Amino acid sequence: MTRKMLTVIGTGVLLVSFILGACAQPTSAPAPQQPVATEAPAATEAPAATEAPSVTEAPAATEAPAEETPPPKVPIATYDGKSLSVPDCEYGGYIKSIEATDDYTVTFTLCKPDPAFEVKLGFGVFSIYPKEWIEATAGETTRTSEGLERPVGTGPYKIQEWKRGESVVLVKNPDYWDQELIKNAPETLIFRWSTESAARLLELQAGTIDGFDNVGPEDFEVVKNDPNLQLVVRPALNIFYIGMTNTYPPFDNVKVRQAIAMGIDRQRIVDTFYPPGSEVASHFTPCAIPNGCTGEPWYDFDPEKARALLAEAGYPEGFQTKLYYRDVVRGYLPQVANVAQDIQAQLKENLNIDAEIVVMESGAFIEASASGQLNGFHLLGWTGDYPHITNFLDYHFGKDTQQFGKIPPEIYEPLIEGGQIADVDAAAPVYERANNAIREFVPMIPVAHGASATAYRADVTNPQASPLGNERFVFSKGGDRDTFVFMQGAEPISLFCADETDGESLRPCEQVTEALFAFKINTTELEPGLAESCEPNADLTQWVCKLRQGVKFHDGSDFTAEDVVATFNMGLNPGSPTHVGNTNLWEYYDYLWGLMWK
Amino acid sequence: MTDQDVSTKTAVALDAEGLSLKSVSLWQITWRRFFRRKSALVGLGILAVLVFIAITAPWIAPYDPYKPLIGIEKVQRREKPCIHLLGCPKDRPQHIMGIDGNVRDQFSRLLYGARLSLVIGISTVSFAIVIGTILGAIGGYFGGWVDNVIMRIMDVLLAFPSLLLAITIVTVLGPGLINALIAISIVSIPAYARVVRASVLSVREMDYVAASRALGGSDGHIIFKRILPNALTPLIVQGTLGIATAILEAAALSFLGLGAQPPTPEWGSMLGAERNQVFTAPHLVFYPGFAIMLTVLSFNLLGDGLRDALDPRLAHVSG
Repeated sequence: MTRKMLTVIGTGVLLVSFILGACAQPTSAPAPQQPVATEAPAATEAPAATEAPSVTEAPAATEAPAEETPPPKVPIATYDGKSLSVPDCEYGGYIKSIEATDDYTVTFTLCKPDPAFEVKLGFGVFSIYPKEWIEATAGETTRTSEGLERPVGTGPYKIQEWKRGESVVLVKNPDYWDQELIKNAPETLIFRWSTESAARLLELQAGTIDGFDNVGPEDFEVVKNDPNLQLVVRPALNIFYIGMTNTYPPFDNVKVRQAIAMGIDRQRIVDTFYPPGSEVASHFTPCAIPNGCTGEPWYDFDPEKARALLAEAGYPEGFQTKLYYRDVVRGYLPQVANVAQDIQAQLKENLNIDAEIVVMESGAFIEASASGQLNGFHLLGWTGDYPHITNFLDYHFGKDTQQFGKIPPEIYEPLIEGGQIADVDAAAPVYERANNAIREFVPMIPVAHGASATAYRADVTNPQASPLGNERFVFSKGGDRDTFVFMQGAEPISLFCADETDGESLRPCEQVTEALFAFKINTTELEPGLAESCEPNADLTQWVCKLRQGVKFHDGSDFTAEDVVATFNMGLNPGSPTHVGNTNLWEYYDYLWGLMWK
Repeated sequence: MTDQDVSTKTAVALDAEGLSLKSVSLWQITWRRFFRRKSALVGLGILAVLVFIAITAPWIAPYDPYKPLIGIEKVQRREKPCIHLLGCPKDRPQHIMGIDGNVRDQFSRLLYGARLSLVIGISTVSFAIVIGTILGAIGGYFGGWVDNVIMRIMDVLLAFPSLLLAITIVTVLGPGLINALIAISIVSIPAYARVVRASVLSVREMDYVAASRALGGSDGHIIFKRILPNALTPLIVQGTLGIATAILEAAALSFLGLGAQPPTPEWGSMLGAERNQVFTAPHLVFYPGFAIMLTVLSFNLLGDGLRDALDPRLAHVSG
């Protein structure tokens, strides 16, 4: 009897597990056309997680380049301690060689002209580490914990302790090369984190911190009206756009895209859902970036004309489509669900287009949108990595971009041309052509440049909200307090920032390590860092950089040209034993310069 | 149909014995007992109001639940409720539950939400009852390995926490209201199958069933005409309570973004969309939450009342 029973039970369980197994199968093989089914598990967890990423990555979010994992390739670079070089430029990257000409001169030879060269060098990810330290902390597959948690740089602060889950404590570096700068700086700088903007505000009001990042959109007024606090609005170096893939009907018809561009009241979206300081986008690139706003501004909102144009294109009754987004809060899209619903309502009201909302998991959404597989609208945005127009336009509208379907040559040809002109004024007519072509072909609809803000106690000097998210707290001091506490949205992932992309990691790193250039606080303006200057040759393919002398690393060693070469060797040369980081993706090195392999 | 069946049967039985007692059917007793319970009446009252709202929503809702009021009225998003009777200036438009995050009238959305919730509750439970009853009746009536297979599968379904199982099913099917309904139905089948099986087991051996069988009644006839009508009582109670659970689970799925998709005015998704504003705009979280609570409460009270009324053992207690 019991035996029979057991057999029956066993069979039943087996049967059900087979059924469940069969049901689970589709999940592991996601079909691009039905992203909904695959996305759900993540959507499940969304409620708990929405706040966290929102704040986490707002300042320096560049997911897109991260998505591809390169197939096994062969390293091609040679490095001998004084120079790093590749035999030819066929690997597709920017750098041909980096050479330490003497102790304080580095010569960069490029494969192709790069007008953004200096700006890219100023990015904190390309900070210089001492050569011996790079070698000593290179573990087998990742950096050693010493390398991940206690980077050695030349910055005004050095790391004292990282209390996991609690805080990162930095202390002033008494041997910093700019004694004038650190004279008045606080002795201790502490980074803390909390995912909830309301919790951060409470701490600031209680006086337990001196400042925090990413004020919640609802709290702007609260901070402004509090005499003990000050609000600093971060200039919007980002863009939120409504993308359309022109390989799917009806988006293959340019008139449909133009009609939609005229049929959406962008002012209403910005007024209703964005914090003060945000702007309606007149162009894809923010105006703060040189040449960003050349050419004609975007279409005015005109529902009558839009309907007429849509009818002319053959859709007088509108059509049915989908509206994809990911439920992730970013500086460019602070209230994603509300904005999506408003766009949905506007499409229905102004153009009689029925758009069904589909929420996708972030990673799958980026993958599907970047490869042009979304057959409807998609809501996405971009935050600038470095303040140059190539960072905005080339990534989105380059010849090989698939995100919006096929990019017409009218758009990508001027971009190729502009990529070889360093002079801002000389490049202006070229980018005017590119911007006008984008307006004409409407691969996407630029909607808004979203502002975000930091808040500080009223007595904090030089309150900062860097457009690049790289506040330098050596410039700030709260009253006569000797400790400055800054609260951000999340804990750093690691402090070895050469191999990090996350803004919450980059900010503490920015205080500890320095790159060849730096940005003046609260601007996108370049100033000398570890390099005093870099002089290009006539066609911008060779840059000779004079390094600052008398700079010491935190471990006491001198900063020389060999450290620069060793740092770039670590980042760019996959064949080097020092090419180990945290994620080992080296995303920014790969995306801004190109890893040296075939 | 069922109550007539039973009542005529009682009456006939009594008549046959030639007693002069005034015949009182089981259902009359039940109703009488039910109406004596205040809590059950409260439940019924709330439910009646909800049904009324659900049916008349298009006429009593002051605004379109889908259309943002941007540019139509001078209102701010997430504005606090403005009720003229409570001193809100007459020149401002009246929004008795305020404005939601997309500048829509919260009250209108809440009214339309009543429709959805009732439809969700009743349709899922009906579906689950139909499937559960068939499975339970077959298992209970035939017994043996059929019973074992069916009930073991039901046990496996019961072994999962119901909400987790529902989430898994929606994940496989894809988010959406219909899929959420299917998931909740599947999850609640075992409860009904068990209840029906238990009562079928107790009724199966009754004399009148044996009589029916002796008269040559087919299995289907015996199950559906003789056994099930007399095994229904616990099912009604379970079903009423089950509607409450189903509404709650649907709201939970929508809250997680797996159920109703925006801009559908479903209470759970309204709650989920504004959960971060609980301090800045409490009205947007309070009213949908309160509506869910009220609906669930009404079904629970109703279910409790029915159970007490239908339980013969409690006859003396409740008078």
